[in-house]
Amino acid sequence: MSDSPKPVLEVENLSVRFPSQRGEVAVVDGLSFQLRAGESLVIAGESGSGKSMACRTLLGITPDSSRVDADRLDWKGQGLLALDRAGWNALRGAEIAMIFQDPAAALNPLITVETLISDAIRQHRGGTRAEVRARTIEALSRAGFPEPEFRMKAFPGELSGGLRQRVAIALALSCEPSLIIADEATTNLDVSIQAQIVELLRFLQADLGLALIFVTHDLGLAREIGGDLMVMYAGQAVEYGRVPEVLEDPCHPYTRGLLRSAPTMASDRNTPLQPIPGTAPRPGEAAGGAPFRARCPVAMERLCERENPGWTRVSDTHRVACHRFAAEGRGGVQ
Amino acid sequence: MTPIFEAIGVNRTFTLRRGGKVSRIRAVQDVSLQLDRGEIVGLVGESGSGKTTLSRIMIGIERADSGEIRYQGRAVEPKKGFAALRREVQYVFQDPYNALCPTMRIGDALAEPLIIHRIAGRAERKQRVERMLSMVGLHADIARRLPRQLSGGQRQRVNLARALMLEPKVLICDEIVSGLDVSVQAQVLQLLLGLQQELDLSMLFISHDLRVIKYLSQRVYVMYRGQVVEQGATEKVFSAPSHSYTQKLLHAIPGREYPVPAGAQGRSENAGGTG
Ligand SMILES: Nc1ncnc2c1ncn2[C@@H]1O[C@H](COP(=O)(O)OP(=O)(O)OP(=O)(O)O)[C@@H](O)[C@H]1O
Ligand SMILES: Nc1ncnc2c1ncn2[C@@H]1O[C@H](COP(=O)(O)OP(=O)(O)OP(=O)(O)O)[C@@H](O)[C@H]1O
Ligand SMILES: [Mg+2]
Ligand SMILES: [Mg+2]
Repeated sequence: MSDSPKPVLEVENLSVRFPSQRGEVAVVDGLSFQLRAGESLVIAGESGSGKSMACRTLLGITPDSSRVDADRLDWKGQGLLALDRAGWNALRGAEIAMIFQDPAAALNPLITVETLISDAIRQHRGGTRAEVRARTIEALSRAGFPEPEFRMKAFPGELSGGLRQRVAIALALSCEPSLIIADEATTNLDVSIQAQIVELLRFLQADLGLALIFVTHDLGLAREIGGDLMVMYAGQAVEYGRVPEVLEDPCHPYTRGLLRSAPTMASDRNTPLQPIPGTAPRPGEAAGGAPFRARCPVAMERLCERENPGWTRVSDTHRVACHRFAAEGRGGVQ
Repeated sequence: MTPIFEAIGVNRTFTLRRGGKVSRIRAVQDVSLQLDRGEIVGLVGESGSGKTTLSRIMIGIERADSGEIRYQGRAVEPKKGFAALRREVQYVFQDPYNALCPTMRIGDALAEPLIIHRIAGRAERKQRVERMLSMVGLHADIARRLPRQLSGGQRQRVNLARALMLEPKVLICDEIVSGLDVSVQAQVLQLLLGLQQELDLSMLFISHDLRVIKYLSQRVYVMYRGQVVEQGATEKVFSAPSHSYTQKLLHAIPGREYPVPAGAQGRSENAGGTG
């Protein structure tokens, strides 16, 4: 690619901490990434590794008890950490929208789908009654919501899980934001509707320069989204690269373990799946050394205990945080 | 053999009345489904095709317009009959967020079914809670937390743990592994297979992930617009689907056209066992 435009999102050394019985612990620990208009970042990783919490910092909606720090957390050059309430309100929904892992959180059970989406459109984009209605219907049908003219009169409780998820997607799309954060946004959808949503997101990226953060556990789906892939473990990024690079040439022992445990259409119960042995560390427990060390088949005794591995370059676009890889290359993590 | 749990000719239509207009949604149309003892049955289908509604009818928290639910060969009476099954038939909800009481600590939520059914004293309850948490890959620490202090996948596992506390005979799981990373998912799937073998647990497993269904279930039902359009041995349905919707689903599995990553498979030696 020729000289690329400036990133719209710049994150450096982002952390989120919570008070705990063992003192303050980080659930997001030193994340750095960038995103340009039209590009996408897929975040995958361990359950509880801080994916949702990291996303929440971009909307200023981490829990009250949390402390967010970053050397830089900039949206289009503007520092997000310094924003006041009015600043956030102008940004949320209009510039940056999030599709929550928990659609129930975004959908008020007492408000119909139509009211929910048309209120958002009125607030951020304005327009006459007829225009707002037309845009509401358009947003819903783009998200694959069936018979929107009629079914938008429904309350969330009258919809199936997947229909609720499509309402949440429509809500995020409705104000034409520049960045969409999709947190497990398609997990309740059958694969054919999932494919339709992915298609739509791709179109918005190519046509309107939408930037996308896509959190998923489905590595096949990560392939379909493309762009960069960040693999997280215990609050930290352990591998980062273009999606096909990371999935075809996984260099971190955690990424490798993850790929080994995924079922495919070829697997059946006669060849048991191989989960990574052991349990994920508690928040704070992995601090200091390499976060994956306690479960890592190739951990280096002293080094991984004591020192957090920095990034090692795999290619221009691919890096890994692993002492073993740094010392011995691919042979060491096989 | 009499099926342990069975739906026969179940129908459910929802009526929506808004601004003078009335519309009917035929959520479940003449659906019959059998679950044999010790069997895992998969239920897949279009989003909105009636899977959750059917399973809610089967456990008696949603009314059927017509049709019958049988448990161990006997028709279950509305209300009373279902109340009697509450211990033996457990349901894990699709939506892990609303299933837990927001002000109750996880440990108490897990111990609650034991208290209600007067099983185990205080000390043993605590032990059982910790053992169950570790079976689903969570630390005992989680017991002190509130639901909102957990990640999505952690909450999903707490819900499963809660359903398993009473060692049910039948388990209905509605989309319970979609929010888990594939390693934890593998752990949960192995756990469920283990329970099937050890406790002769029967399971109805609803999922959009055909790879998971293929791995776990012996038979599968495919629903489309409220009806069962295809059923049979999972192997057979997935290798030679007869209904066009099943074919469409199998065609849309994400990432299916990409090769399995080289370094990811093989390596049969198990690094360090499961300790
Ligand atoms: N309010 C809170 N107080 C303390 N800890 C919290 C709170 N909310 C979340 N956590 C912890 O922070 C960590 C990160 O949570 P997060 O929701 O970001 O995980 P995640 O990567 O999105 O996981 P999943 O894939 O399961 O959704 C988890 O260990 C979780 O238990
Ligand atoms: N209480 C209700 N009132 C009106 N309509 C309802 C109600 N509950 C469900 N429906 C409708 O019935 C249909 C079937 O819903 P159901 O939740 O059973 O689908 P599902 O197969 O579980 O879908 P998903 O995969 O999206 O979870 C949907 O169109 C849904 O909107
Ligand atoms: Mg999450
Ligand atoms: Mg459902």
